[in-house]
Amino acid sequence: MSRLPHEFGEIMKRQLSKAAFLLLFALAACFPVIAQDDPDPNSAAPLLASGPDAGRVLAVNTRGWWGGLPSRGSTIFTPSSRTAITIFVSGIATLDSEGPNAFRVYIRQQSGKTFEMQTDNLTETGKRTYAIGLRLYDAQGFRGQPVADGDSLIYVTWRGQMSNALKIGLGSMGKTKLPDLSPAAAKSNNTSVSDYVGYRYSGDRKRLMEQATFGPTTNVDFRIRRIGLRNWVNEQIDAPYPTIPYPSIPQMSTIPPLVCQLTTNPTCYRERYTMTPVQKWFFQEAMYGDAQLRHRTAWALSQILVTSGNTITQSSHELAFFKILSQNAFGNYRTLLSDATLSPTMGQYLDMVRSTKDNPNENYPREILQLFSIGLYMLNQDGTPKLDSHGDAIPTYSQETINNFSKVFTGWTFCNQTCANSQPGIINYKDPMILVPANHDTTSKTLLNYPNAVGASIPACAGCTTPAATANYAQTSLNAALDNIFNHPNLGPYIGRLMIQHLVTSDPSPAYVARVAGVFDNNGSNVRGDMRAVVKAILLDPEARGDVKTAPRYGKLREPVQLITNLARLFPARDFNGENPSDGALAPHVAPLGQNPFYSPTVFNYFTPDYDVPQTTLNAPEFQLLNSGTAVKRTNLLSILVFEGITPNATDSLRGISLDYSELIPAAEADASGGQLVDALDAKMMHSTLTPAHRSAILSAVQAVPSSNPALRVKTGVYLIAVSSQYQVQR
Amino acid sequence: MNKQTRREFLAKSGCGLSMTALAAQSHYFGLMNTLAQKTSSKPLQSVPNDYRALVCIYFSGGNDGNNTIVPNHDDVNVSNYAAYSAGRSAQSLALARNSLLPISVPRVGGLTYGLHPGFGTVTGGINPGIHPLWAQGKIAAVTNVGTLVQPITRQQYLDGSVPRPRQLFSHTDQTNQHQNARADTVVLSGWGGRISDRMTIPANPDGLVPTVSSLGGSRLFTVGETTQPLAIGPAPTPLSSILSLVGYNNTPVTNARFDALVAGLDADMSNEIVNASNEVHREAIRISRTLNNGSEVTVAFPNTEIGNQLKQIARVIKARTSLQLNRQIFFCTLDGFDTHTSQIAGQQSLFSMFSQASRAFYDEMTAQGISDKVTQFTLSDFSRTFNPGGSGSNVGSDHAWANHSFVIGGAVAGGDFYGMNTSNGTPFPTLVQNGPDDSDAGSSARGRWIPTTSVEQYAATLASWFGLEAADVPYVFPNLQNFASSDLGFMQP
Repeated sequence: MSRLPHEFGEIMKRQLSKAAFLLLFALAACFPVIAQDDPDPNSAAPLLASGPDAGRVLAVNTRGWWGGLPSRGSTIFTPSSRTAITIFVSGIATLDSEGPNAFRVYIRQQSGKTFEMQTDNLTETGKRTYAIGLRLYDAQGFRGQPVADGDSLIYVTWRGQMSNALKIGLGSMGKTKLPDLSPAAAKSNNTSVSDYVGYRYSGDRKRLMEQATFGPTTNVDFRIRRIGLRNWVNEQIDAPYPTIPYPSIPQMSTIPPLVCQLTTNPTCYRERYTMTPVQKWFFQEAMYGDAQLRHRTAWALSQILVTSGNTITQSSHELAFFKILSQNAFGNYRTLLSDATLSPTMGQYLDMVRSTKDNPNENYPREILQLFSIGLYMLNQDGTPKLDSHGDAIPTYSQETINNFSKVFTGWTFCNQTCANSQPGIINYKDPMILVPANHDTTSKTLLNYPNAVGASIPACAGCTTPAATANYAQTSLNAALDNIFNHPNLGPYIGRLMIQHLVTSDPSPAYVARVAGVFDNNGSNVRGDMRAVVKAILLDPEARGDVKTAPRYGKLREPVQLITNLARLFPARDFNGENPSDGALAPHVAPLGQNPFYSPTVFNYFTPDYDVPQTTLNAPEFQLLNSGTAVKRTNLLSILVFEGITPNATDSLRGISLDYSELIPAAEADASGGQLVDALDAKMMHSTLTPAHRSAILSAVQAVPSSNPALRVKTGVYLIAVSSQYQVQR
Repeated sequence: MNKQTRREFLAKSGCGLSMTALAAQSHYFGLMNTLAQKTSSKPLQSVPNDYRALVCIYFSGGNDGNNTIVPNHDDVNVSNYAAYSAGRSAQSLALARNSLLPISVPRVGGLTYGLHPGFGTVTGGINPGIHPLWAQGKIAAVTNVGTLVQPITRQQYLDGSVPRPRQLFSHTDQTNQHQNARADTVVLSGWGGRISDRMTIPANPDGLVPTVSSLGGSRLFTVGETTQPLAIGPAPTPLSSILSLVGYNNTPVTNARFDALVAGLDADMSNEIVNASNEVHREAIRISRTLNNGSEVTVAFPNTEIGNQLKQIARVIKARTSLQLNRQIFFCTLDGFDTHTSQIAGQQSLFSMFSQASRAFYDEMTAQGISDKVTQFTLSDFSRTFNPGGSGSNVGSDHAWANHSFVIGGAVAGGDFYGMNTSNGTPFPTLVQNGPDDSDAGSSARGRWIPTTSVEQYAATLASWFGLEAADVPYVFPNLQNFASSDLGFMQP
């Protein structure tokens, strides 16, 4: 990190014109910390050392290793949890905080299976040279262990960059041909002088927009280029939200009144008793809103603290909950937990409104622990599971714990009479739940226990003889119980990893998780749970930033919502006639792809964070939505969206949607060969990572369109990139 | 990953063939050996027309079993109509006695019970519904079945001495537990998918599409540990176009576009997530080419959500020979059973839709000559409280536990109740709040019956008929060993 101001200074000296300098000077006045400590985006790829045989890894048995870089090692190893070996990488410089969990060592076998080896220690053996001690053993082991079947390939990833892949003999040195696993050539596309200003790599700016917004736009790109990514993130965090005003939806009676029934007045019914207005607002804000990072963060939180229109029948109720998420997106997670717990929407969704001392409900207590805070198993700070002496994961809580939390959460219900938004005959979903003292359990509770536990038990109420005393006890108990959860050591790694998965990459390195968890634990000012600091740490981490990421497991499949919003921002979305902004009525088109916004099928979200691609150890949550049927639907929706636009729907009076390609038309017109157009799209959509084969395939299809039809050429190129997995995986 | 044949793909997906799978495969090719004889209870035969299919119809939201099958007798030794009416009539949730469709139940001494009127002739219906199939012995009821970790008595439930299913009465968890047959822990595969894991290679070695087809997306039931379902959309979309790409009209421009799309699938192998996504797209394009036949049904199906799902399933079944499938599992859903309110009208409508569609499907299978090869069965999240919630036209009921399920088809030993006996010596629960079968206790008990038969027992009986090898049962139903009987007897041998 300490090198960076120097590098930035060099860039300034070389690149800045006087005018640009004045501009930056003016901006610097607004942003006193301008770009001083942006991380070096240029994380080099680690170079895995080979032995005398250039194709074979230099590796030694750790036992007996003398501690330096050997000239030759062993060639054959036995895969086992007891086999400790040491390999060597060079060409990189680690941060002080980076230990063995910053490196991930993979073995790919002739069976086609890939295993991640357990890394144990990291030793600096020379300048920019490190020894990695590892076990020839997959610590997760969900899909078995590597077997002694001869030569396998071994490679290392670090900060999303892949090393060279070398042979390692397991059991023997086989002769079978192994696949060529050399990393994709990292292309730096910092060719334009203007790209140096403020931030070096245009590809990384685009990746940042994909991670922090609902899709890159030319304007945001320009903004980041001018003020630097760190300032842009700060600017985003403080930006007013929302840009598109929340829809104003009255609360309705539980049973639709005659004037608002599906059969007689479907428009009223749809606006009040379905999630339609929330969905439309959500998409409008995603497409046109300025505070993109807050919207994106709130959307991620809505997939962690899930409520759903499947149970929450009124749009006003669901919107009230989304407001809690967006308001707390950069606040403190403790406040978010508290607001979510007392949210009537959550209370209805997970039954806390019906939980009484005589009939306590386990639903909310179970989910707040399992899904909203600490998860099922004790975690190390880097998000890997803690194991007991038998090598088994350690549960965070028992049924008994659930029973005790259930008691804490009893007695709360809707405030239908005495609150600001109480209305006769209408259930109040806008004010927090209130306590009915007679329904609260005043016996003692034993909660989560962990080292230095906060509030591990709550004594029985001694003086609960009046409703007021019971209410006071219940509120104090609730605060204590939430403090007990909030201070559990799992919270940082658990929430940190989930947020990384939603924003950046599905399978972050443990070191990345640990860095973010560290910020969750302490934002630098001894504050725990500061989500503003957490989100910044996620986005500014070296594993998130930098040029082309070559690690084979880097990135995430775009979920349906973001697949569409990214295109709608890349090629500014308008209504079908191109005259007005879109009304955001995209949900009916995205829903068949498996993600109907605000209608999560269950509290477990549209997809589970643990989901592995079947038959592999590839952790990729969004894949749970991808099957043969939805794959075709993705491609078909993109065809309609790109080539034709989505036509207005007569029954719903929607305005439809079309994309604006005017920015690309000049490139299509200027070059009859189509090359300029494809390169422009490559830069815009792919961070200039199209492989030559893919580029040439797309170019052929573009050339099949007469050059007299530049619009169709553009659409052809956009479609072919958009439907490709290369694009659909954000990386 | 290189292009590979379906067979290689499957072989690879099996994590190495187990001895059982090898044995089963040997069977398939007629290479009987001693190992196979030892491990196989129901050898698959590679003869034409050895086809079997399971069709799961999922009642989403928790169907109220108490109004699905109602005692319609006056015997005082078990819960009779008066007992039923006493619990439900005051709030207007009791079905009128003369509206019930009579069924005779040999298992309960020939007493008469009644099916919900939605199962018979209904207004606007296109067939007589499924009720007449009872007398023909083509429909059975598995009663008081639900999620269990192991058998549990009321006393054990109340004193907590025996593990209960995780998160009873929760939609999410109970839905998952019905679909994955694991009440004790979270498992990310369903029992339909796990059957497919073990049976795809022996039963469908040359199948052109996966063993499991889902009409409802990636539902847990359909997802295996090593196999994935085919997800298809319902009718009226023709089978030939459910996986077809739009925008291609055989012009030079779109042909070039298609070539580029296909080339893109192999254009960059450096990222595993990209490769995995490409694999799904490749599979989709491959399958779309196999589903391009015009298979059509001959029986009229109702134009409802469930009708169109079952119609699509019937089309796939009709195409089974060209798809080279000997075993298939289907999953479809009917939503709307979470009847906290307005249950009388709601259940009438839902049961009418189900019964009309199910009967049309049964008749279509009969027309295809395979009614005894295809078995429909129902699942739901849970039953609902015997004690109603609310009253009058808004009356409904709340989340409960043990439920009744239906099994329909020519191979069903129908016309009777099946399952383990409850406290009253019959498989039908005692309809008394705070009574011997209620998991609730005390004066506010609402009647949430404790299951006496587990989902595993119900599912394993179906799986056994389907041809799952005994040796593979522990893989598919790990908790089945906790229960006395693994075959409830409702399928003909």
